[in-house]
Amino acid sequence: MTDARPDGGEAATETDRRSVTARIESLPDPDQLFAVVGRELRTVVRTRAYAALAVGYAALVVALAGAGGASGFLPLTLDLLTYVELLVPALAIAFGYRAVLGDARRGELDVLQTYPLSKPTFVLGVYLGRVTALLVVVLVPLLLVGAVVPFVGGTQSSVLATHAGADSAFLYLRFLTLTALFSMVGLGVALAVSATADSVRAAIALGLGFLVVLVVGLDVGIVAALGAGVVGEGSLQWVLALSPNSAFRGLVLRTVVGAVSTSSVRAAVPAANLAGLAIWLVGSLALSIWAAWDD
Amino acid sequence: MTQDSRRTQARGRTVATVEGVGHAFGDLTVFRDVSFEVREGTMTTLVGPNGSGKTTLLRIVAGLLSPTEGTVDVTRRSERAVGYLPQQPSFRSVFTVEETLRFYADLLPTDVDVAAAIDRVGLSGARDRNVDALSGGMRRLLGIAQATLGDPSLVVLDEPTGDLDPRMTEYVFEVLVDLAESGMAVLLATHNLLGAEKADDVALLDRGGIVVRAPPDEFVGDADADSLAEAFRHYVSGDADLTVRAGAGGGDDQ
Repeated sequence: MTDARPDGGEAATETDRRSVTARIESLPDPDQLFAVVGRELRTVVRTRAYAALAVGYAALVVALAGAGGASGFLPLTLDLLTYVELLVPALAIAFGYRAVLGDARRGELDVLQTYPLSKPTFVLGVYLGRVTALLVVVLVPLLLVGAVVPFVGGTQSSVLATHAGADSAFLYLRFLTLTALFSMVGLGVALAVSATADSVRAAIALGLGFLVVLVVGLDVGIVAALGAGVVGEGSLQWVLALSPNSAFRGLVLRTVVGAVSTSSVRAAVPAANLAGLAIWLVGSLALSIWAAWDD
Repeated sequence: MTQDSRRTQARGRTVATVEGVGHAFGDLTVFRDVSFEVREGTMTTLVGPNGSGKTTLLRIVAGLLSPTEGTVDVTRRSERAVGYLPQQPSFRSVFTVEETLRFYADLLPTDVDVAAAIDRVGLSGARDRNVDALSGGMRRLLGIAQATLGDPSLVVLDEPTGDLDPRMTEYVFEVLVDLAESGMAVLLATHNLLGAEKADDVALLDRGGIVVRAPPDEFVGDADADSLAEAFRHYVSGDADLTVRAGAGGGDDQ
């Protein structure tokens, strides 16, 4: 609509009906995405609670690696695997459970809706900013303890060995890559918790609930289903892919441990496990986008 | 008394048209058939008892809530049609005033003069101060500066002076008058009737609709009162011969 101006000229204006703000649900705008990512990263870097979590996690990783002896990359992976399964989801929940909820409680989500910012852009920006910080916090200590292995490890360790059947830094890098993927899924779940909870108390309850479900609940459910005959042994590998923790564990056992094991590791179907993790990640982000604010 | 103010009609073109708007939360009707216009270069204050639906109406005008009936048209002159200040504005505490506004400015496709926005509300001396080191009044001013980013044609403010001391309240109203004089349309809800006297129009939302809308002097004069506060009590107590819109309802401001 073009309105006549008091000065007799014309200004290109348009009228929004009902939805006053322009919400263009299209591909994320790169500039806006960058702005949101930067805001999240700076928030994490400047918040002392996150720094404390990072230091605590790093100290724990170093202690666990030291306790295990770190005699090689494969032993180190096996020493850390169970703890990573527990610690990474916990860290992810801590990093993400208030990300969207905090903006909602401060009234900033209302304010954001008066800008030409789409929900996908906002949610993806929050996710990318937080997951970048989480990946640094999770991976740097793992990299550091891995870097020590060639210097303190036994005769089995060698950063030069790359062929199958030998311990190798490349196997450890696979573990780190899978841990990064696992962290991304965890943060996605945390963001979904943050977007759907309507109070801090609800977010904490949901976050802890998801933590229990992810770390223990799904595996217990699968075992129960197996015991009850609901799930057959033949389909167990596929059902395990539905649990992020089982999928991550299966991938590590298959692609890291299985690479040097003389017996085949039947715990996982890598493609199914990757698909399982991808479904959790995409599903969580989709839920976050849908729930971030009412259209 | 007409609901359209002669003084308002003398100002610029219509920026927002609210027509037959109503809202209900489930079976609870907050208001019905609310119609009014806001013109550029004017300040309109929405007053009314607690629970009359002021916040709900402002959220509808700002596009944050869909009305259950009626329409809201806002004429945009930039990428951002409406600036909004929530009732208790707060921002991430680890950012400075300038960083906070820079983030919001970066969401707009055009270059925004953040320094000018800070100057406009008088926060230049605190531009490098962290949000958690701001007083309640300064935080409100930061929220107002944010609401003006991108040169929206309409700025909607929910209780911009709530909990502020008299001196800061007066200053905030001065800032809002300046905004209106710069050409923006300003629509705010307030319980501060001294400040409301600075507005071009005062609209009273009560008993499910807008029962009076007039310039402050007419608002007071038609109630045969000496002040807006006295007139407010007159209208709200039901002494006046008012044509109250149908579907009266109550409830807290949502």
